[in-house]
Amino acid sequence: MSDEPVGQVPASASKEPRDGLDALTEEVLPALIARLRASRLGELEVRTDGWRIRLRRDGTATLPRSASGSPAADGAGDPVDLIGSVARAPAVGYFMPLPDLVVGHSVQLGDLLGSIDVLGIVQDVTAPSDGIISRVLAEDGQAVEYGQPLAGIDPLEAEFEADDTATGSEAEVVDR
Amino acid sequence: MIERVLIANRGEIAVRILRACRSMGIEAVVAHSEADTESRAVRMADESICIGPAESARSYLSAAAVISAALVSGCDAIHPGYGFLSEDGGFAEMTRAHDLTFIGPSPEVLERFASKAGTRELVAAQGLPVVPGSVGMLRDDAHALAEAERVGYPLLIKPSAGGGGKGMRMARTPRELQQALTVCRSEARAAFGDDSLYLEKWLEQTRHVEVQVLIDKYGQGVHIGERDCSVQRRHQKLVEESPSPAIDDATRVELAEAAIRVAVAAGYQNVGTLEFLVDGEGRYFFIEINARIQVEHPVTEMLSGIDIVAEQIRLAAGEKLGYGQEAVRLRGHAIEFRINAEDVKADFQPQAGLVEHYVPPGGAGIRMETHLYSGYDVPPYYDSLLGKLIIWAPDREAAMARSRVALRELLVEGIETNIPFHRAILEDETFLSGGFDTNLLDRKGAAAFLSAVPTDEQA
Repeated sequence: MSDEPVGQVPASASKEPRDGLDALTEEVLPALIARLRASRLGELEVRTDGWRIRLRRDGTATLPRSASGSPAADGAGDPVDLIGSVARAPAVGYFMPLPDLVVGHSVQLGDLLGSIDVLGIVQDVTAPSDGIISRVLAEDGQAVEYGQPLAGIDPLEAEFEADDTATGSEAEVVDR
Repeated sequence: MIERVLIANRGEIAVRILRACRSMGIEAVVAHSEADTESRAVRMADESICIGPAESARSYLSAAAVISAALVSGCDAIHPGYGFLSEDGGFAEMTRAHDLTFIGPSPEVLERFASKAGTRELVAAQGLPVVPGSVGMLRDDAHALAEAERVGYPLLIKPSAGGGGKGMRMARTPRELQQALTVCRSEARAAFGDDSLYLEKWLEQTRHVEVQVLIDKYGQGVHIGERDCSVQRRHQKLVEESPSPAIDDATRVELAEAAIRVAVAAGYQNVGTLEFLVDGEGRYFFIEINARIQVEHPVTEMLSGIDIVAEQIRLAAGEKLGYGQEAVRLRGHAIEFRINAEDVKADFQPQAGLVEHYVPPGGAGIRMETHLYSGYDVPPYYDSLLGKLIIWAPDREAAMARSRVALRELLVEGIETNIPFHRAILEDETFLSGGFDTNLLDRKGAAAFLSAVPTDEQA
């Protein structure tokens, strides 16, 4: 699992509108989220194969709390940036993520993301909000402290609309 | 051998343990709650680990959180400090089950001395006089009233699991007893997770004198003299000193020797304190054993030069004490003032908030044990203890003179503290004469003391 931004935005070549939507949500969207996160842009729009996707940061998202004092955060500062919500360790122990805790996976408030093993008893790690996993901050089996950030969740607004004017097959990033 | 210790406590004692570990070449990891991420111990530590939210029950009092933290941070021992899990036999047992060393008595020793009522029977069997009291735990109100009739009023209701004066009440009549039982039960349950209570006869005009002992796992032990903790407010110790000004040298030696003999015979191990009440005739009555490092341990360190926390770690690791009573030399007089975040003008209400400015005192024989720093935000969730000012001098009078100087220098700005109270008590004739009992403050009243604060108090 990586929280590194994806360098290339893959373009969908599908002709079928339905397949095109699937390809968008499964391939294009995660990559776009990563690119948006890596950038300083507030909004990002892509046109491809008759679809236009616009991603916008949610400026009203709550700021994550400081995680100072944590072994992971010491010296390097808080690894979580200022947008989105953060799933945190509910206890001190070993982190065991679920297999689908990967960047780009869409989650809803309360969804199980993994667990913390505390002396053999597991405590659930759940999504604190709806959104898309933007970062995974701890590895499988890693020792984590109480409150340690485990995953970032972007409350992105994704707008899908058919775009009759878009004809090119190359993705185009528009800075607004 | 212990190589890496998890410090499962907060405040000044976490700082004290961290220093002891460092002086012994032992690594330390400071466990802390979310409310203590900016604590001095966390800032000083090479490593720290958050174990839970501010609420003690889910952090400092959570055995699972503390042990899990020790395991994931690679520690081989846990120092529980005082309060919290320090005298919890179940926690000590769980610590051992995870191949960690509990820095304190073994689980068996803690279990044996866990019940204060049981401990009374154990030491009485060794010939130590105990304060008359109820036999066993109080089952219910009816049992309490019956036992009270047998022992006689006035009485002290005490939690069996307790310490620090929490859950303790005095009752002069059956009516007072019934009212107090409910309060004591809920206080004891909140503070110690155990609401068993017992009764002790209230002895008028007594002093609180305790003996510090060090005993290794092989039954070799020494005492390090006594401490007089008679300056109390509502059963909370405020000032402690050694030697006790109330007992003569013959009684002093007899008390300390009886304490170490009985503690060894009863199977006690590690550091501990035997508490006694001493009456006007110098007769002493055992009350309880504190199976932990105590807040006031520096008083004894100043007289003996022994690092009690380091000795505690060494003994928990299974080392031999390595010296006998003749090697323990006590010199001079030491006195400790507990500096609390309390508003003395508002019935000692606990205070919290930003310490804008902190300046410790200095000079010959002056020691400050604290977690304070300028800019520290005192969280509202815990004990009000901010630190301890400990003074050593060749004799009591010189110690009082140094204390006045140090208490004028000590500056804590931004929140109210009980420093004015300590300055006042140093002007009190009864205190200075040494002829006071545990009721000194409650009888005279805080206001009367405070009115005696010298007016030229600007440092």
